[in-house]
Amino acid sequence: MEIVWFTTFAVLLAGYFALEGFDIGLGVLLPVLGRSPAARDRLVGAMAPFVLANEVWLLALAGVLFGAFPALEGTVLSGLYPLVVVVLLAWIVRDAGLWFRRRAGGARWRLVWDGAVCAGSAGLALGWGAALTAVARGLPDSPLDPLGLAGGVALLALLAWHGRTFAAWRLDGARGGALLLSACAAALPAVLVVAGAAGRMLGDAAPDQTLTVLGVMVVPFVPFLVGAQVWVWRTFSKGALPTFF
Amino acid sequence: MDVVDLARLQFAVTGNLHFLFVVLTLGLAPLVAIMHTRLAITGNPLYERMTRFWGQIYVINYALGIFTGLVMEFQFGLNWSGLTSYAGDVFGTPLALETLLAFFLESTFLGLWIFGWHRLPRRLHVACIWLVTLTAYASALFIMVANSFLQHPAAAVEEGGRLVLRNFGALFTNPSLVAALPHVLGAGVWAGGSVVMGASAYHLFRRTAEREFFTRSLRIGVLAVVVGSFVTVWFGYTQFDKVASIQPDKFKGVVPALGIALMMGLGQLVLLVVWCLAPLLFRDLLARWRWTHPVLMIIAPAPFGLVIAGWLTREVGRQPWLVYGKLSVADALTPGLTPAAITASFAAFVGVLGLLAVVDWTLIIRAVRRGPGEVALGAPDQSADPAPTPAHSF
Repeated sequence: MEIVWFTTFAVLLAGYFALEGFDIGLGVLLPVLGRSPAARDRLVGAMAPFVLANEVWLLALAGVLFGAFPALEGTVLSGLYPLVVVVLLAWIVRDAGLWFRRRAGGARWRLVWDGAVCAGSAGLALGWGAALTAVARGLPDSPLDPLGLAGGVALLALLAWHGRTFAAWRLDGARGGALLLSACAAALPAVLVVAGAAGRMLGDAAPDQTLTVLGVMVVPFVPFLVGAQVWVWRTFSKGALPTFF
Repeated sequence: MDVVDLARLQFAVTGNLHFLFVVLTLGLAPLVAIMHTRLAITGNPLYERMTRFWGQIYVINYALGIFTGLVMEFQFGLNWSGLTSYAGDVFGTPLALETLLAFFLESTFLGLWIFGWHRLPRRLHVACIWLVTLTAYASALFIMVANSFLQHPAAAVEEGGRLVLRNFGALFTNPSLVAALPHVLGAGVWAGGSVVMGASAYHLFRRTAEREFFTRSLRIGVLAVVVGSFVTVWFGYTQFDKVASIQPDKFKGVVPALGIALMMGLGQLVLLVVWCLAPLLFRDLLARWRWTHPVLMIIAPAPFGLVIAGWLTREVGRQPWLVYGKLSVADALTPGLTPAAITASFAAFVGVLGLLAVVDWTLIIRAVRRGPGEVALGAPDQSADPAPTPAHSF
């Protein structure tokens, strides 16, 4: 059972970076690719219908960590305390930008929340990069040293590229091959880090009874989880852009 | 304040903020779903406007529910790792099920519902809002299962200094859960109905142009308050026996005693007022008699104060325990958590979430005041082609 839940964890983490990675990257590039308010509306409209379905992969990941690897959950989150706080705040600021940018009129209002989308996305990328670097190094005392920052900047560049290929695919009719490639690349660092931590994770899994209960409860719903995600992609991959975000 | 106090206060403030938004989500979701279903059956454009207007209020409110929920989800690992290392094998299960089976689907279907206007077939679009409602209620179930386990750690035994799950079913038949869950869900319907009722009364009192719109909305809101307040009060009383058997000293402290007094006093007063006014729905007398509208507006915020009183009673009343009788709050704190770390995270989370909550409430009030004339939810899509660059004139 440990192997099953470890694989689930790895798939969710890879999925998070492959999917939410392009939202983050596009957010970082918002002022670069979207010089005018109309251009930014278009970029946000491209990713908007995917964001809710993408960011839940991380919540599901936290759930699996909590349910199947509870001992590790406390160690890792509290071990990365400042980085977890930064990632959470950046996530909230980015989401607030998306939810609020069109909720009131005025160019200045829109500009402020577009800035929140960009800053929040950058914070997410930098924070995640530093966090992955810290886990790979075995949770050092000060994860925000030059090496951690370098990891953050590297992930930021990778996700920005991923966001760029998503925008080219959704808005400019580019083929899906490049997007698939950048998605795999975006997931790769996280997958490598988790593979490196596999021994530690398998040793720290919850007892079999807990894992079995979780499995019995979750497996029947997997078709619904997958189906809902597929439905999102089938609905929003083509055509005009929704305007709510 | 020491580290434990700050960590507790952080949990209390973020938890209560979360509760204020979530309780409205739980109440508005089924009301919007009912409106959308009526639209699908009748094709009446009035129901389309109602679905979009109240749906937009629901969605604006939902955003802060997510933001505060994120902090709640990760706070256990940040500040309370003693809880996960002692009880995580049991407590983690309902939380994992909440994210995988409830929130994952809720958020995905909500995205389909928000952005799916003009592209989903009507029946499937309605199905989305019902799936959002269903998964929101599943979320509430799993969170209450987790909380009830902390109140009364049934289903588990201690082995080698840790709690081990022995009987999964017993998590769901916990005496701390069975009456508290309908109590909270009733409060949700009450809060959702109350917002619809208060906002409709505001427009009717101001005599804005949307008379029919808000007359119908008022009916839905008042009926939801009638049902919700009854369920809440009924299952409030049925909890007394159960609490007496599992936490006999629950109401001895000042805060729980005040909380329970407020819930019983103010709660039943509001219930009485709404039950007395509800018969005036006959022939829409309530919408026509203008003197009733300020009364409805004044009692509209009551359920939000009452849910905070309920939370304080339930949570303060079990101190000093985190897992009742097993693990104290102080022992659950993350080992080595420094005053600097907890102070900084407290300031950051409470500052950012507090600010965004104020922005969100302002946006909700603004959307209510503007009325159904300008609603962004379900507005036309825009072309995916780039906007033409303005021609320069020389």
